[in-house]
Amino acid sequence: MNELLQGLIKAFELLVTLDPEVMEIAGRSLAISVTATLLAGVICLPLGGLIHFNRFTGKRTLINLIQTFYSIPTVVVGLFVFLFFSRIGPLGVFNLMFTPTIMVIGQVILIAPILLGLVIAAFSGVEKAITDTARSLGANDLQIGIAVLQEARFAVMAAVLLAFGRAISEVGLALMVGGNIKGFTRVFTTAISLETSKGDIELSIALGIILILISLVVNMVLNRLQQR
Amino acid sequence: MPLIKTVDLCHKYGGQDILRNINLKVEQGEVFALIGPTGAGKTTLLRLIDLLEVPSSGKIYFAGRDATASKRVRFQVRRRMAFVLQKPVVFNANIYDNIAYGLRWRGMAKNNIRQKVNTVLEMIDLSIPQDRNARTLSGGEAQRVAIARAIVTEPQVLLLDEPTANLDPLSAAKIEGLITRIIHQYRTTIVMATHDMAQGQRLAKRIGVLINGEIIQAGDPREVFTSPQSREVAEFVGVDNILDGVIVSQEGGMVAVEIGGNKIAEAISDYPAGEEVYLCIRPEEITLTLAKATTSARNSFVGQITRVVSVGPLSRIELDCSFRLVALVTKRSAEELGLDRGKRVYATFKATGVHVLRKD
Amino acid sequence: MRKAIYCLLSTIALLALLAGFVGCAGEFKIATTTSLYDTGLWSYLEPLFEKKENVALDIIYAGTGAALNQGKSGNVDAVIVHDPDQEKSFVNDGWGIDKRSFAYNFFMIAGPSSDPLGIKDLNPADAFKKIAEGGMKDPGKVKFVSRGDNSGTHGAEKRLWAAAGYDYAKDIEKSGKWYIETGQGMGPTLTMANEQNAYVLCDGSTFTSYKGKLALVALVKKTAAETLNVYNVYAINPDKIKTTQIAIAKDFINWLISPDVQKLIGQYGGGSLFYPITDTTYPAIPNLADNMKPVQ
Repeated sequence: MNELLQGLIKAFELLVTLDPEVMEIAGRSLAISVTATLLAGVICLPLGGLIHFNRFTGKRTLINLIQTFYSIPTVVVGLFVFLFFSRIGPLGVFNLMFTPTIMVIGQVILIAPILLGLVIAAFSGVEKAITDTARSLGANDLQIGIAVLQEARFAVMAAVLLAFGRAISEVGLALMVGGNIKGFTRVFTTAISLETSKGDIELSIALGIILILISLVVNMVLNRLQQR
Repeated sequence: MPLIKTVDLCHKYGGQDILRNINLKVEQGEVFALIGPTGAGKTTLLRLIDLLEVPSSGKIYFAGRDATASKRVRFQVRRRMAFVLQKPVVFNANIYDNIAYGLRWRGMAKNNIRQKVNTVLEMIDLSIPQDRNARTLSGGEAQRVAIARAIVTEPQVLLLDEPTANLDPLSAAKIEGLITRIIHQYRTTIVMATHDMAQGQRLAKRIGVLINGEIIQAGDPREVFTSPQSREVAEFVGVDNILDGVIVSQEGGMVAVEIGGNKIAEAISDYPAGEEVYLCIRPEEITLTLAKATTSARNSFVGQITRVVSVGPLSRIELDCSFRLVALVTKRSAEELGLDRGKRVYATFKATGVHVLRKD
Repeated sequence: MRKAIYCLLSTIALLALLAGFVGCAGEFKIATTTSLYDTGLWSYLEPLFEKKENVALDIIYAGTGAALNQGKSGNVDAVIVHDPDQEKSFVNDGWGIDKRSFAYNFFMIAGPSSDPLGIKDLNPADAFKKIAEGGMKDPGKVKFVSRGDNSGTHGAEKRLWAAAGYDYAKDIEKSGKWYIETGQGMGPTLTMANEQNAYVLCDGSTFTSYKGKLALVALVKKTAAETLNVYNVYAINPDKIKTTQIAIAKDFINWLISPDVQKLIGQYGGGSLFYPITDTTYPAIPNLADNMKPVQ
């Protein structure tokens, strides 16, 4: 109990004085996860639109497959990325192991199914009459897509925030492909994992508090959106 | 050259025939009403005309050009039309943006858009600020916004799918007023689907009756109303009296028809003796008297009142004259004559008020 | 207002995009055993090497087996390990070259202060025998926590079981609730042993650096051949991995065995954690002279 209290006090100290190590880890975590979420968004929004608006054989199967990967274990994605991007692997020529870049790539792979599946669901939630109305008013395919996106904007926003949450809170992938290198690939989750196992809990607690604060903000925004 | 022409248009949906051999012509500037019972295929036909779907077979010509040729052609032609759906659909944006959507998609300049939207807003006479979210509007208000949204793009053809079906009488009247104003101001060609025959009569120059996926009859509303070409059309346009009969004699364009109970009715027709026919008599053509009257009317039958139903300011009176007859009189007359159940009355109608249909 | 939020978000997004991709080239990567990593020795040495060589030093930590794998996968340019058997295969298969030993210490056995089996000051092999017997007889009271992760420490542990007369695979592994395998580094393993009041084999330096955080005490501390723990560094063979940064690796190895660094290693942590390889208190390696020759 005493240790916990000591830890909490030290943690607040680190936060209030904007301790450089804590800030560096926080900044990097946000940079990596925000980048991953944006990249995944750029890929999954148009792709989701294409899948939703077109009829093709196997569409149901594809959507089921996407949903299957919603909760793919982070270490499985980590293993997959490791096999491909390892120096001796097929994509090893890029020399990306243990870099922030590979962490971004890994997180994109991790959250893509959720983002894609929920974007498709968001589009599906818009009544077909909207699509018909837009078409009849002379919108071309792209304009229809944007109109439906507009109608579904809150559901899509929620999907993006959920994907971001999953990206920033995972540890298995970050550890396996990032290596938790101090000053280079260390993020919230891997740092907390390391420091806790070493018994240095002040830094862990400080990072944990920030991570919780971020989650809180994300959740508050999510709630406001869902209330509309 | 008609603006819209369909040739042998057919459409299937999930294996079911929805439309069969539709051959329709709509002239430029015409107001054409497509009437028919619910489920007849009116919406499907409108959707095909708007090129929202590709017909299973048949062709659609727009100003002489094959509109179903390719996706690109369909898109171009579709941009010259506008469609207002049955259920008012508004985008989750304010009123101004809703109306501006079509113009924005056409890449119009902002100032131009503002001018056009304001003009059209005046026309629909909505007493609600244009920055209000359209989703907060009532059904009638939303429908007016939908119509505004459609006409602001100055389409050559305006397609309306049962525009007043889901509305209360007051809102419906407002919409009809708006449509009338549009007709006068823009002279747009209008194709309007409705199950309300009276509305079709009021607003349209020509009527097409769509029953079970086929256009049974098309023409002047008066003509369709009084001279239905088939039993189904007759039933739909409100001919409550359709009597089975056989022509017993034909003389100089006048026939005597035997109807139920050895009674003979006279009508104007060229059909030969022996022909099986339907006699169509509109209920408002029947006069009721308490005693046998001497009139120029050729047909007078005695009968007993079986039912009296109040319809607004009118009374609908069902009679048994050994065949069933329905008459429509004013409530006042019904009261003055004491027309109650069981009363013995004479039902009289002119030979010219009978429309003879051949049975097939 | 809404425009302002969008601008802000776009700016953050752009910055994030840029930040995520900074610093992706020109890193010298090494894999080290968790035992060394957890003592904090690398945090101490890292800035010195980075300054001298003017290159970013990236340190990955894993058990010896995993570290050697990273070497074979070409993801690191040098490995620091301490398992003689695995290292022999690593060299024989042509992966590791320019081996140099640079430090050593001794494994010790720690356990609960109550020491229910009374192994204090016994010979390591005898202590292990008692632990096995005690554990199999009374698994509720006597426990042993193992690394279970193919690390150097795990290797040393297996050698001690053999010395105690056991066949590891048949007699010890999965033989009962008394034998716990964490599959993790030395730190988490010590923590587990602490929680379970169990016996554990640990390298001297890690245990010392955890002093004050554990209730466990050192019970068997013998400087002998069977507890000797030598840390070796290898470069990766450029014939096998063409992209390995062999030049920097050689510099790194020579730097580790240089007199200045050897002195620092000896002084680290108050001097009680590591013996520099040049310290002849115990004959850690057969041919010290050859070992101290810089690699070419």
